[in-house]
Formats: sequence, structure tokens, C-alpha cells
Amino acid sequence: MTTSLGPPSSEEATGLEAPPSLRVLDRPRLRRLLVLVFMLALIVVLLAPLTATDQADSLGVPQLVDRSQIRILTTIAMFVVMASAWNLVGGLTGYSSFGNVAFFGLGAYTCAVAVDAHRLHLPMAAAIALAPVIPAAFATLVGLPLLRLRGHYFAIATLGTAVAVGEVVKNIDYLGGATGLFPPILHRADLLFLYMMVGAALLAVLVSRLILRSRFGYGLIAIRENEEAAGVIGVNTTAYKVGAFAVAAALTGLAGGVFAVWNSFINQELGFSLDFNIQMILMAVLGGAGTLFGPVLGAIVLELLIQNLAGRSDVAVYAQIGLGLLLAVTVIFVPRGIIAFFGGGSRLSLTHLRRSLRETGV
Amino acid sequence: MMGGTTRFTGVLSLAAVLALACGGAGGGGAAATTTTGEDLVIGVPMSITGSQSKEGALAKQGYDMWLQWINQQGGINVKSVKHKVQLKYEDDTSKADISAQLTQKLITEEKAQFLLGPYGSATTASDAVVAEKNSIPMVEGNGAAQAIFSQGYKYVFGVLSPANVYLTGVLDMAATLSPKPATVAMLAADDNFSQEVAKAVTEYAPSKGFQIVYSDKYPNGSTNLSGLVANAKARNPDIVLNSGHLQEAIAIHKAAKDLKLDAKLSAYSVGPSTPDYIVALGKDANYVFDGSQWTPQVKYTPAFYLTVQDYVASYKKQFNTQDDPDYHVAESTAACLALQKAIENAGSLKPDKVRDALAALNVTTFFGQIKFDSRGINTFKPMVVEQIQDGKHHTVWPSSVADTKPQYPTPSWSNR
Amino acid sequence: MQLFLQQVVLGLLIGGVYVAVAIGFSLVWGILNIVNLAHGALVIVGAYLTWLLFARARLDPFLALPIVAVALFAFGYALQRALINRVIRAPLFFTLLLTFGVNLVIVNALLVIFKSDFRSVTPGYSGSGFGIAGVQVPYIRLAALGVAVVVAVAVGWLLNRTRTGAAIQAVGADRDAARLVGIDLRHVYALTFAVAAACAGVAGGLISTIQAITPTAGEPYTLQAFVVVVLGGLGRVGATVVGGLVFGMVETLGQTMVPGLGAGWANAIAFAILVLVLVVRPQGLMGRIA
Repeated sequence: MTTSLGPPSSEEATGLEAPPSLRVLDRPRLRRLLVLVFMLALIVVLLAPLTATDQADSLGVPQLVDRSQIRILTTIAMFVVMASAWNLVGGLTGYSSFGNVAFFGLGAYTCAVAVDAHRLHLPMAAAIALAPVIPAAFATLVGLPLLRLRGHYFAIATLGTAVAVGEVVKNIDYLGGATGLFPPILHRADLLFLYMMVGAALLAVLVSRLILRSRFGYGLIAIRENEEAAGVIGVNTTAYKVGAFAVAAALTGLAGGVFAVWNSFINQELGFSLDFNIQMILMAVLGGAGTLFGPVLGAIVLELLIQNLAGRSDVAVYAQIGLGLLLAVTVIFVPRGIIAFFGGGSRLSLTHLRRSLRETGV
Repeated sequence: MMGGTTRFTGVLSLAAVLALACGGAGGGGAAATTTTGEDLVIGVPMSITGSQSKEGALAKQGYDMWLQWINQQGGINVKSVKHKVQLKYEDDTSKADISAQLTQKLITEEKAQFLLGPYGSATTASDAVVAEKNSIPMVEGNGAAQAIFSQGYKYVFGVLSPANVYLTGVLDMAATLSPKPATVAMLAADDNFSQEVAKAVTEYAPSKGFQIVYSDKYPNGSTNLSGLVANAKARNPDIVLNSGHLQEAIAIHKAAKDLKLDAKLSAYSVGPSTPDYIVALGKDANYVFDGSQWTPQVKYTPAFYLTVQDYVASYKKQFNTQDDPDYHVAESTAACLALQKAIENAGSLKPDKVRDALAALNVTTFFGQIKFDSRGINTFKPMVVEQIQDGKHHTVWPSSVADTKPQYPTPSWSNR
Repeated sequence: MQLFLQQVVLGLLIGGVYVAVAIGFSLVWGILNIVNLAHGALVIVGAYLTWLLFARARLDPFLALPIVAVALFAFGYALQRALINRVIRAPLFFTLLLTFGVNLVIVNALLVIFKSDFRSVTPGYSGSGFGIAGVQVPYIRLAALGVAVVVAVAVGWLLNRTRTGAAIQAVGADRDAARLVGIDLRHVYALTFAVAAACAGVAGGLISTIQAITPTAGEPYTLQAFVVVVLGGLGRVGATVVGGLVFGMVETLGQTMVPGLGAGWANAIAFAILVLVLVVRPQGLMGRIA
């Protein structure tokens, strides 16, 4: 009934294909090479910040990465977590949640309250460990009623929930009210937070991989393809959906918790930012919803784009227009996301583009 | 920075030799010769676009006014070496997370040695964290929420009066008017700045003999406030106060006209001081008061930089306008002046020395007294009360700086 | 008692504006199954157009409304035909993302043209009204309610009493069957969106007389349109009218008449209601299950 997302099913491999000469990326060896290069680049990028430490200085190693770049890397890692988490619900299960930022905010506030000297006054490690718990519990609670809705209704309901939670938090003094909370500043901890966030990102990807290859994952995909049929063949759809929702919430909440102590300031606008909300969805979809590395790719590419355009007032408005156009183009022409260019069965053929237009258009 | 210091020392020595030579040869006056050192880079994350772009534009005007003036003087004088100033702006699109990232970028990649504050309390809070982490002094004039200054930060300084005194001046003035108003309705947006203003009013009013008959908060950025205004009207307040921003100040006043809420005194924080307010409301804006950080009618005698009149004239010339500078412009210039004076006093460009000089600063400028309390905010400068009379702003309180008397009581809507 | 009546009146009057905003949104959702995230942007375009005509041509805003309607009609037709038609059958969040992208483009284009200054349409009679038993009824808001009712009636008439309307409803009911009967889907889709855009433009014109506008001022209206449509129910124009008026009253009364709950909770309440209705009675007060 609808074009499915994720790895192409066998029926789509038939039909008009471009001549072999165009399908460069179809060759498995080339593909493996690209993956290897990507992995190497990733490892270099992740280890490079270590050159900024004092030990590296004393060894005479030149500093490769400055504080500003470390900050950007931390932000990218944060979005990898959020996009991957969204992917579990939106990409795998087919339930487009427009309110995942609620979990980010809940995680951030949980951690901030836990660490605050006038409130729970727990050590930071404990606070961060607590960060995924409240969002997961919340997701389970509201997931039960919300996940009974489908399509647009689910999207709006989740959006409404996210906004409502943010507004409620703004009205409660214990949570900082309109002012927000100020977790204490940790000096010289840039790398600590970077690797914490990267750790969370690795965790998110690992969890996604585990799910994708498990019965749970197949059940979720089955729900996406045809929920009634999935129920008939014995998938406990409610349990699976709520489970995916809770896992996504826990991961997103973890990202929020680390963010709160890293940024040393959290308020309703930051914690329940509609910008973050939209960005994590865009990253997952632009990268390739339903796949493992799609959200990762999307997070890296989009965040780098955003950071590169940031700060320049002359382009600010045009950057937004460009983003809007990019969205329109991607959605119409590359619905499977960037990752499709690297998947088996290249999507680079004109014929395929025309086919996908025919499939989705009037 | 190594190359710079060596070159700087070289230039200084050369200058010293030349000075001696000149002194020996001509016997001319012992004028102190200043040399020119490296440019001083100051980073400014600012909302040039985005939801706060209007206020950000005003703040930028304030910074640019000082920039033009200081560079005309040859730069900041640090122990007889003048450093021209470069202000590096980055547009944070009014978003706090982007502002923090850009602040870090300004420090690390654009080599900003000091920072001037962004617009707005949330962005200032985020950027303050970055300034603290990097031990770079940040002087701001556009974020008045006290919470920023209760965190024990050592490198953040605010030249403006804190949020809690925004409207207390209006109450002080009201207490002197006759017939003395008795009841107050306090409406406030739910952002932290507005809430601090409102809380202060609620606590202060009884001490002046006022009774709060209605108090409520509304979501920031609301456009439909008629219900609230109707509620306020039902309680018959003599004084209607609003703590919010421009959009709400306009909406509430329109609703007051729609519903015929005839208060004897209407005062709003933020909003009436901007030219947009009079443009949006026309004649209806008359009689409205606002609490202001500064007006062109104040009478401070500055220790340096321009006098109040010269500042106003210079503003009109530089930006080719007939409008007076609004207080957002002035408080931004004041932030620059504080930084400049602290650098001069410290005789050094080292962040820690300048930081200490800021903490010890006590100087009067066209903006008023600039002195920071132990938290880093300027509690020593009083707020002023303005009123819009016949489409023009006038300062009406305190009487030491007032240029005319307040028009009170406000005539009812049907009588205008 | 007088205060209560005043609040009810205010609620109804603002409800009229909500109805105007939501009618187009409901049409697009009901017939095209598209949740148009750019709806608020279309409203604001209408508002700016009205302001332009008022500021440059001294045209009374209410007289400008038909012009705005025609302009937005053309724009909406083009938009649907060129862009949105291409993703109608794609999974839902593609259309959401596409309309989100369109929203970004429109709002930022407005920012480039008009900057973020606040504009207001203030004809000579703004602020005046009449009073009945101490309850104030401002003229402009009353006129806005009137226009909204006219728009609702017009759309209802279009849908129920014209051939075009029949075609639109047919397409909404069963797309493939409609195509089989020879209805030009692309044209009818575009027509539907065009009508919706025209309604949005008129709503924008009304809004420009009531509040100060700026390019980003349309966003809350998209969300409010959601709530109204969900509350009233998808499907019939009457449902949207009910939803709009009810929401206007609930918002106003909830903000002001519930003791202990300040207006600061307004947004939280609105969304809580939204979620509650979605979960408990997704077809809304009056609609059919979509």
C-alpha cells in the first residue's frame, strides 16, 4: 500500500534497472572499501581529540582538534543518539513520533535535578545513570494510550505531549520554573563529555543493531508493514510498540542527561526544543529511516551542515530556505535517504527516480 | 601569540629610542607617546536574525557606536600602547544552544580575548557558562535575569540593573501621585525575566501601600490576552502593570482599549520604550509608562566618553535617524565602556587581570554608575520611569532626572 | 456574572477566528489526507497581503479580503499542482516533511521581504465597539466572527451544492473510484488545496486586524488548527465550526475562570485536551472516524 522504508524487498529488485555501468556503488568490493574508509575516518576523528590533553602536550604531540571542534563533535554524537533512537519508533516500527524531544527534556531535567546541590545532590555518575529511567517510564505510561493511534493522529498526539510536558515543567518551581536549572560547571572536562556522548552514540547504534537482528526487530518491521497481519501471526503488537517506544525514550533521555551536565544550563526552551525535535527526525529520514547507519549518516551530515552555516547572519535566512528546499527535494526524489546510495541495488538510476515519483505521486 | 609579543617589544624599544633621541635633540614637551599594538579582538554572539533580531539590532547599534568612537581615539590605551578594537559578530539566530557553540568558536577559532554579551537572558545564561569554562571575561548589558548571577560565576558581569527593579520605580512614583492609586493588577509573561520582574513587584507593592488585586501569568509570546484583561478589569485596578515583551505589551494595550479597561496608570516593562510601540498603537500609546534602564533625559556626568546629549546626537548621526536611542542601545554601549575602563585600569590584556579590574570597577558614565555587586550585576544604577506623552517619550521619575511631570490620571478611553 | 458573560463573548469572538483558520486545514486533511504544516505560513501570507494593501493602498482590511482570497487561491493551486501532488501517496511523514519544508521556505522568504518588524492593521474603527449590559463587544472582532461564518457557509455550499464540490467529496471518499468515473485527480486535488489556501488567507487578513504580525507569527495557528479539527472532528464544515467555537471558549474560560490555575497553564491545558480527545474520542465531537 505504501512504499516501504528500509532495505529493499525482493519485489523492487525487478523492473527496469539502469545498465551495469551506472551502478558503480553496486559492487560489493567497492562498497566494502567505502565502509572501511568511513570506519577509519571515524576512528581518527574520535581519537584526535586526545591530542588536546595535557599528556599529549607533554609528549610533544601537536593538537589536532580545538575546543570548538570538540564541542561540535559532542553535538554530533548527541544527535546520532537521538536520530538512532527515533529510528526505532519512526523507521522500524513505522510510527512517526513528533514528540521524542519530550524524552530528551525529561532526561535532561532528571539529571539536572539529581545533580543540583539544593535538590537531590547526587554525584554526576548517578545522575546520568538516572537520566534514561524517567523518560522510559514516561514513555511506557503514555505509550499505552498513544500507540493505539495511527498515522497523523499519532504524530500530532506525540507533538502535543511534548509541548504539554515542556509547559508543565516551566510551571513547576522545583524544576527551575521559567528560569531553568544550572548544573555546576566542570572545568577541563570537554573530553569527558565528548566521550560520554560518543559512548551513548555507540550504545545507541549497538542497541539498534541488536534489535534489527532480533525477533523483536522483525516484529517491529512486521508491525510497520502490516500491523493487523503481524497481530494475526502472533506478534504482541502492543508490547512490541511500547517496548520500542521505551527503548527510544531511554536512549534519548540519556543524551538529554549528558547534555544537561555538559551545558551546565537547562531550561524549557533548550530541553524541549522544537528545533532538536525536528532535527532528529530530519536526520533519520535524510540519512535513511529504517536502516542501521542511515540515522548516523544523517546526523553527521546535517549537523556538519548546520554548524558550518551557523553564525553568518547574511546566510541565515537563505540557509533556512535552502533547508526547506533540501527537504522538499529529498522527500520527493530520494525518499530512502542518503544511505540508499550505498546500499545494494543502487538508487542512482534515473529510471528508479522516475519510478519512485510514479509510486508516490497522484 | 609569541610572535606578537616579540614584535610588540621590538616596537616599544624602537619607540623608546626614538623618544629619547627626540627629547635630546629638540627639547620639546615631555608628551607621552603612545604606540600602536595589536588589534584587540572582542567576540560578540548576537541575535542578528531570529525571534530576538529587533532587540539584537539595537544592541548591535550600541556596540558599534562604541567601536567607532574607540577606534577614532586610536584604540584602547593599555599602558601607553593603543590597541584598535575588532568586534567579531556571530549570528546565533536567537537560539541559546547555537549561541553557546558560537561563543566557543569566537574564543577558540577567532581568538576573541574578551566577550560582549548576547541579547536575552537564556542566551546570556548559556554563553556565560562558556565564558566561565574558558576563563574569558564577558560583559553584558542585555540579560537582566538574576539567576545568571546567583551561580557564583567569576567572569560574567552585567552593567544593567537587574530584573527585580524594572517596575519598582513605577510603584515609587505612583506613591507620590495624587489621588493616590490603591490597587494593582500584575500581568506577566512566563519567561524568567518577566517572572522576576513580577515577583519583585508583588513583594514590593504592599510596602508602598498598594494592594495587588489581580496577578496572573501567560505564555510568552501570547497574542490573545483579552481574557486576562477582562479579568483584570473586573477587579477595578487603579494601576495595570505588565511584565513581558513588545508583542504582549501591544496586545494587552489593544485589549484594554477593546474592553474599555480604564486604569489610572498603565506601565509595561519592555515595549513602550521602543519606537515600534508608538508605530503600532498610534495615539493609543499615549499615557503609557515604562520602566527603563536609561532615557535621553537623564543627567549623569560622565567620567569619560560622551555626555548624554552628545551620545544622542552621535547616535542620530551614525544611524541617520531622527529617533532617540532606546535603552537597549545605551546599555550595550555601557557594557563596552565597562570593559574598556577595566582594561585601562588593569593596564593589561590578561583575562584574569581585567577580570579583577571589572570586579573593582566604579565609574560614572552617560549610562549612570557602573559598579558590580559581589554577584557581578550592577545594583548601583537606578531605573528610570518614562511616559509616552503626545507620541513622544519623556522621563518622569526620579525627579532628579525628570524632564517633565507625569500625566496622571490617564483619561478614560471614551474621553480621548 | 458580568465577567463570565464577557469571557464567553470573548471566547466566541476569538473562536470565530479559529474557525476561519481551521476550515482550510480541515479540508486539506479530510480530502487529501495531508496534514499541512505550512498552513500557518499561508495564514501569515494572507495577513501580510492585507497589511500591504492597507499600508500602501489605504484599502480597508475587510474590503481587501476578497483580493487576498483570490491571490492565495492561485498560490495554493500552483503549490499543490507542482509540489504536493507528487508525494500524496507516499508514507505520511514524507508529506509532513515536505509541508514543513514549504513552511520554512515561505516564512524565511517573508523574513527577507518584510524583516521581523511587527506590523499591525489599524483602521480608524479599531478599538471601538459597543456595550451590552456592561459586556464590551469590539466591532472588529465581531466582524471577524461574521466573516468566518460567511467563509464556513461558502465552503459548505461549495462542497454540498456544486458539481465541483461533489467531485471534491468523491475524491476524498474513494480516490480510485473517482478516477474511474473520469475525475481529473490532479486538478481536483489542486482545487481543494487552493480553496483551503484562500480560506487561510482570509483568516490571515482577519488576524492582521486583531494582533501585530511578524513572519513567524503563523506557527501557533497551525497547531491551533490541529486542535480545532481534532476537537470538532474531521469531515464536515459544521464540525470545524463547532470545534473552533468550543476551542475559543475553552481557551478563554480555561485561562481566566478556573481558580488556582493561571493562564500560564494555557498551552499545557490546550495540549492536554488535544491528547485526551485523540485518545478517548479520536473522531472528535462531531466528526466521522477518518
